[in-house]
Amino acid sequence: MLTRLLTTVLFALIAALMLAAPARAQSGPLRIEITEGVIEPLPFAVPDFVPEGGTDAASWGARLARVVSEDLVGTGLFRELPSSAYISGITSFSSPVQFADWKAINAQALITGAVTVQGNQLVVKFRIYDVFAGTELGSGLQFVGTTDGWRRMAHKVADQVYARITGEGGYFDSRVVFVSETGPKDDRKKRLAIMDYDGENVQYLTDSSSIVLAPRFSPTGDRVLYTSYETGFPRIYVLDVGSVQRRVLESGQGTMSFAPRFSPDGQTVLFSLTTGNNTDIYAMSVSGGGMTRLTSAPSIETAPSFSPDGSRIVFESDRSGTQQLYIMPVSGGEPQRISFGQGRYGTPVWSPRGDMIAFTKQAQGRFHIGVMRTDGSEERLLTASFLDEGPTWAPNGRVIMFTRETQGANGAASLYSVDISGRNLKRVRTPSGASDPSWGPLQN
Amino acid sequence: MHAGHYISGAGHLALIGWALFGGMFLPEELPAPVTEVSMISPEDFAALTQGVDAPAIAPEIVEPEAPATEPEADPTPPTPEPEARPEPTPQPVETPAPEAPDAPPQVLPEPVPPAVVQDTPPDPAPQPSEDVAIVLPERTPRPQPRPAERVAPEPIVQPDPTPDTAPEVQPETAPEEAPELPQPEQDSAAPEEATTEIVTEAEQPSGAPERSSRPRTRPERTAAAPETPAPTPTPTPAPTRETPPEPAADPLAAALAEASSGNGTGETERVAAGPPLSRGEREALRLAVQACWVVDVGSQAANVTVVVGMNMNRDGTVAGDIRLLSSEGGDQAAVQTAFQAARRAVLRCQQGGYDLPADKYDQWREIEMTFNPESMRLR
Repeated sequence: MLTRLLTTVLFALIAALMLAAPARAQSGPLRIEITEGVIEPLPFAVPDFVPEGGTDAASWGARLARVVSEDLVGTGLFRELPSSAYISGITSFSSPVQFADWKAINAQALITGAVTVQGNQLVVKFRIYDVFAGTELGSGLQFVGTTDGWRRMAHKVADQVYARITGEGGYFDSRVVFVSETGPKDDRKKRLAIMDYDGENVQYLTDSSSIVLAPRFSPTGDRVLYTSYETGFPRIYVLDVGSVQRRVLESGQGTMSFAPRFSPDGQTVLFSLTTGNNTDIYAMSVSGGGMTRLTSAPSIETAPSFSPDGSRIVFESDRSGTQQLYIMPVSGGEPQRISFGQGRYGTPVWSPRGDMIAFTKQAQGRFHIGVMRTDGSEERLLTASFLDEGPTWAPNGRVIMFTRETQGANGAASLYSVDISGRNLKRVRTPSGASDPSWGPLQN
Repeated sequence: MHAGHYISGAGHLALIGWALFGGMFLPEELPAPVTEVSMISPEDFAALTQGVDAPAIAPEIVEPEAPATEPEADPTPPTPEPEARPEPTPQPVETPAPEAPDAPPQVLPEPVPPAVVQDTPPDPAPQPSEDVAIVLPERTPRPQPRPAERVAPEPIVQPDPTPDTAPEVQPETAPEEAPELPQPEQDSAAPEEATTEIVTEAEQPSGAPERSSRPRTRPERTAAAPETPAPTPTPTPAPTRETPPEPAADPLAAALAEASSGNGTGETERVAAGPPLSRGEREALRLAVQACWVVDVGSQAANVTVVVGMNMNRDGTVAGDIRLLSSEGGDQAAVQTAFQAARRAVLRCQQGGYDLPADKYDQWREIEMTFNPESMRLR
């Protein structure tokens, strides 16, 4: 006992001596840890693109710059500095930039461009500058296109700016297919329509003679799957966007098929099939045939969606008594429930990044659009209203578009988008009522 | 009998110990209360006067000349491009690479911190995970905080995540959304979402202090931990001699500094002359930089912690380029984005130079800043 006590005390004294030694030698650079930043949009300037020849080049330059600005500002991540604040303008695309002038007005990014008009052809050049570093971000690029597609060229410029500054892909040069709705609630006309992501260039793909539902873009954006009540009961159609030709996806007599969705390779279609009183999930080839059954519970399984790697699916099922989300391998196997919160979960959609699942949630009389990790953790509700449903992901997995319907006899559906952080909720401009959006890929 | 032995043994030990090391303990206790006085000690004073004298004559005279012509020109000098900038710009891009050789000397001290970091993680890591497990269930019900609706009507001011900086952020976001939303319907809709956001944002900062505060206590414990439990009181006073201000200011940084000093003693000659920065001075620098650190919480870069290094001029401005020393989490693109955000923060907020004490220049001639967005993330 005594020796142990003695050893302990001695050891402690020696240790104290040794400790003191390194403590004296204090050195190295000053170290600071910063854990709290600010959340604010990045200020940028995009002067009108410089005209470099051709009729109305100056006018085109101004319009292009405006669209680029609208795209960036619309993300909520950028803030444009008004041209009235400029100290010096951009009069030549190739002359050096006076960084001090832009720094003085706190422009962190500067986008310069030039436009040449040749007949109905536009040549657009642009550069992006990191003002505070005094360097160019990436290298200049040039796009050639027709005057008809001028907005797409502006979107492409904005996509480049977005990607170079945020390090993530853009989503401006993309399209959305949706259901256009007109007329009163008890006699609503529905047509398939397609538009740019910002609501411009709306084109109709079907007439309003029959009810259409839930259009879904193919991964390459060339085809659309949708459900139509043309024959009196729901059937799935495949429509070619370019030719507007369509054909039915045969699923057997006396059955109802709906809620279709493409596989990531565009070759397979997942859908729900109701035979008798039971609804289950099936897969079949887009060309028709090869139908396989993926679920076989007596409960209702529907709204399937592939993971980006095509190995798993997520869907909704009421097998537990309430509508919840489940994940299972495409090859088969026991579904794993991933949603455990209060309320009902539906219309799950796997994010293009693969790390999140967006869904509709109904709880306590309200609807929400939310996201969760693929294991069901970190559930986060982004919206809340009388009726929100049907989320669809932007190509970069950063923004979600969905349907919001207002209450009452005059209630109407419209499209909204929200950042996955829950910020920047806004309505998408459409010429009439709209629902069931499906966001297509970034165009080539 | 045993009692007698213990008492006499302990008494003798105490006597011997006191006789041997008493010389150490006595001064230790004295400095502790007097530490603050040492800050204004003759050394400080001498350093102060020197610092004042030196800069007063040389640098300050030089500076006025430059500002006179172009105040903004100071930062630009690094880019003395002749005429064609588009081409010169690629060069600056390459310049960071050549500086990589500079980094190695500084990388040396780094390998050391990792060693300590590895020691500390095991302790903090398990606990955070426990916290997360607890936090998650709490967040799923978040939507319930409907009470937020009462708050919503006016401010879309949810950007309040950071109580300190929020006032600045909100005014900027609000004006933007206003012009964007010509349609009244959006306004009516936005507040609802804003409410849910307010809740989420509000909860995050609360989580932050918990995590950050724990690590602070750790370094002290780990320092004493290897030793026996009983005498811990004695060892702690020993370190307090020379590093009292640091643990107070930022124990984590202090712990890192201690760790690096073990292997990087060679640097002591180069740096670390003069009195250390006070807590207030370090805090001022931290606040100045974080006011310009813009975090995109929804991006992949929000999962990345970066450490950047920089050399400073006497006037408080950054000399040369800012270097990425290390990073944690995310893929390469996310790391690059996080680094750019950190670099932009430092450059944008330096204005005419950070407000750092000139007399302690040797203490901050070289700075390493860690940008950790963990507490801001939406998880």
